[in-house]
This record gives sequence, structure tokens and C-alpha cells, in this order.
Amino acid sequence: MLLATAARDVDAFARLYRRCAPLLLGVAQRITRRRELAEEVLHDSFTRIWRAADSFDPFGAPVGWMTAIVRNRAIDVMETHDVARVDSYHAALDDKPEASLDQMFDWSSADTAEDALDTSRLRTFLRQCLGELAAVERQALVLAYEHGLSHGDLAAHLGKPLGTVKTWIRRGMLNLRTCIDHCTGNIGARQ
Amino acid sequence: MKLAHHHQLDALIGEYMLGTLRGGARRRLQRALREEPEVALRLRTLQREFTPNYREGIAETPPAGGWQRLARELNLSQYRAPWYSRVSFLRGWALGVTAAFVFGVTLLALRTMIEPTLTPIAQLAMKGAPPSVTAALSADRRTLELRAARPIVASRLQSYELWVIPEGGAPLSLAVLGQLDGTLQVPEGHRDQLRKGAVLAITVEPAGGSPTGEPTGPVILSGSIS
Repeated sequence: MLLATAARDVDAFARLYRRCAPLLLGVAQRITRRRELAEEVLHDSFTRIWRAADSFDPFGAPVGWMTAIVRNRAIDVMETHDVARVDSYHAALDDKPEASLDQMFDWSSADTAEDALDTSRLRTFLRQCLGELAAVERQALVLAYEHGLSHGDLAAHLGKPLGTVKTWIRRGMLNLRTCIDHCTGNIGARQ
Repeated sequence: MKLAHHHQLDALIGEYMLGTLRGGARRRLQRALREEPEVALRLRTLQREFTPNYREGIAETPPAGGWQRLARELNLSQYRAPWYSRVSFLRGWALGVTAAFVFGVTLLALRTMIEPTLTPIAQLAMKGAPPSVTAALSADRRTLELRAARPIVASRLQSYELWVIPEGGAPLSLAVLGQLDGTLQVPEGHRDQLRKGAVLAITVEPAGGSPTGEPTGPVILSGSIS
């Protein structure tokens, strides 16, 4: 559908919207935590999907590509709106990122139509490696990813100094990277 | 300095994907993604390895007018090819045949509805001559049709009048006619008289029909209902 959208097929674009808008709105809602902002993000994102569909890599994962657009747009919007989320939504934030890791994401390695086999394998690796991280690192990563929290938001939410949170994030990602590289046998990769 | 050669490029991209890269650093990376193909390629590679799939469970119902707004603002209608160029030849052919079939069936159904099935009930004839007019009646007794073997048209000063004479009763006028060919609606009160044993008769009357309400002129054709 994305490829047909790139060829300016309006019907395919409409199908794409019907099929993916609900999930993408859910992603935007998680980050903006405000329905009207999430709707704006969804609108802007589909505008961008329509305009940039020709730069979509036919061998990539379409949902992942669109999700990245939505996430980036949502984070941009949050930055410009400068919403003090952590204060107002502190209670609403999910305090069990361990559980939400499996509630939010689909780790099944079942080979869906749009997935190449190695994509689903990579996903299995990712879940395994997340499991091997230290709990604080995992919590920081999941909170940041799920809700689009900045370092400052995270520090406030977790009640830890900014430097500590930054270290958790940095170390968490590095460990994740090492683990994934190890799984894929790509140990000699850069960094 | 080009970001492509930054010693912590992966870490920057990682924080960008995670969402914790903010402010100036974020904008700098976004600019690099547009201007430096190596950076964009690196992001694509890492995205492939580190992007989890969201569960359908987090989906929310989009706003009602969302698609319309999008279509309006992107002016999508200009990309929509006219409908006839979107149907392929075979599809168009199938569409055409189906349409013709449906049209035909509808026409047939309409004709059946408009022209009720008529059953011949009487042959009208001059005395001692072969029948020259056939009378046929619809099942609901509302419509009577006269069909003449050859045209029988009244002169300008005369009319034909069709009567039904019930068994043992007086003639009742059914219609005043200019010619003995055509369809007529049976007056409501007379429908029940069109029964077996009654006689249909046609008389010649002054133009406009019998002045008295009873036959005044000669009977030219008659026949009993069978």
C-alpha cells in the first residue's frame, strides 16, 4: 500500500489510513498524552507519509517506518508545546514498564505478511536483550520510548539526578547494542 | 563538522530513535539526516534492528473527519483518475454486461407490472359472422382490453359504447369508445359483473355515448363471457 501510495494511488492511501491510523494514533496518544495533540500529530504524520512515501525503502518494514514518523512528529510537537507532562501526568504514567513492555509491543516471531524472516528474528533478539539489561536501564529505556520522555522528564519521574538517568540510558543502549550485535554475529561492527 | 564522522554517531542516533535526543542536538541530527546520506542510511540500519512492533491493543479510534481533512488539505482529488480509466477492459466489459442484464430484467419486471397478464374472456362477433374483436381481462378485473382483427373506427358523429349485460339484468355501460381497439379501465362498481354467463355488447351511439344511460343504438357486436 505504501508503494502504491508513492505512485500517487489515492485509493491505496485511503486503505493505508483506514488500516494504520488507529495504531498510529495510539502511538501518538502514548507520547502526547493529550487527545487533541495526538490527532494533530496523526494528521501531520499522514501528510508527511503521503509526501515522503517515495523515500520509503521497499525492503523495510512499512509499519516501523510510519511509526518512526509519528514518534518523531509527536516528540517535535511536545518540544514546541513545552508541555510540563511529568507534573500533570505523573500519576497517569505507567509505573510498571516491565509489564508494559509486553503489553505495548508485539514480540511474536510469527512471520507476518509484511515481515521478512530476519525482521522477526531481530525482534526476538531485541526482546531477549531487553530482558538481559539491568532493571533500571530497561525501565528508563521503556519509559522514554513509550511516552517520549526526555532526560529531564525521566529524572523527575524516577526521582533521580539527571546525570544518573543519562548514564542509565547511555549504558542501556550500549548494552542493548552489544547484545544485538552478539546475537546477529555482527561483533566487529562499529562502536 | 559532519555528523557522519562523529565518533558517537550510533549513540546519537540511538537517543534520537529513543526520543531522548532533544533541542539543538535533535535539530542537528535531523539536518544531518537530510543532508548526509551516510547518517540517514545508518539510522535506517539501526531502526531495522531496534524498532519493536506496537501491539494492535494500543490502537485508538481516529477522529471522524480525519480522512476528509487530510484529503482536502492534500488536495487528493486531483490525483484521482476518472472512474472509467480506473476500470480495466475486462472489468469494464463485465460491468457493462451486468448493467445491461440488470436493465433488461428491470424493464421486463416493469413491463409485467405495467401490463398485467390478460386472459381472453369473450369473442365478440356480428350475428352469424366470425369473431372480429377479442376481449381480455386482467386477473384483478381492473383492466379490459379489446383487440380487433382489423381497425373498427367510429365516424365523427358516432361513438361505440361497450356494455356488460349480467344474466337476467339490465345493461351497464363500461366505456364509450372511438375505436374498438385498446385498453380501458373497468369502472369499479362493474368489475364484479364481468363473470361467466354475462354478455358483452357494443352498440352504436351518438357521439359522446348514450344520452339516456341505456343502449339506444343497434348492437353491432356481442359475445358471452366464458
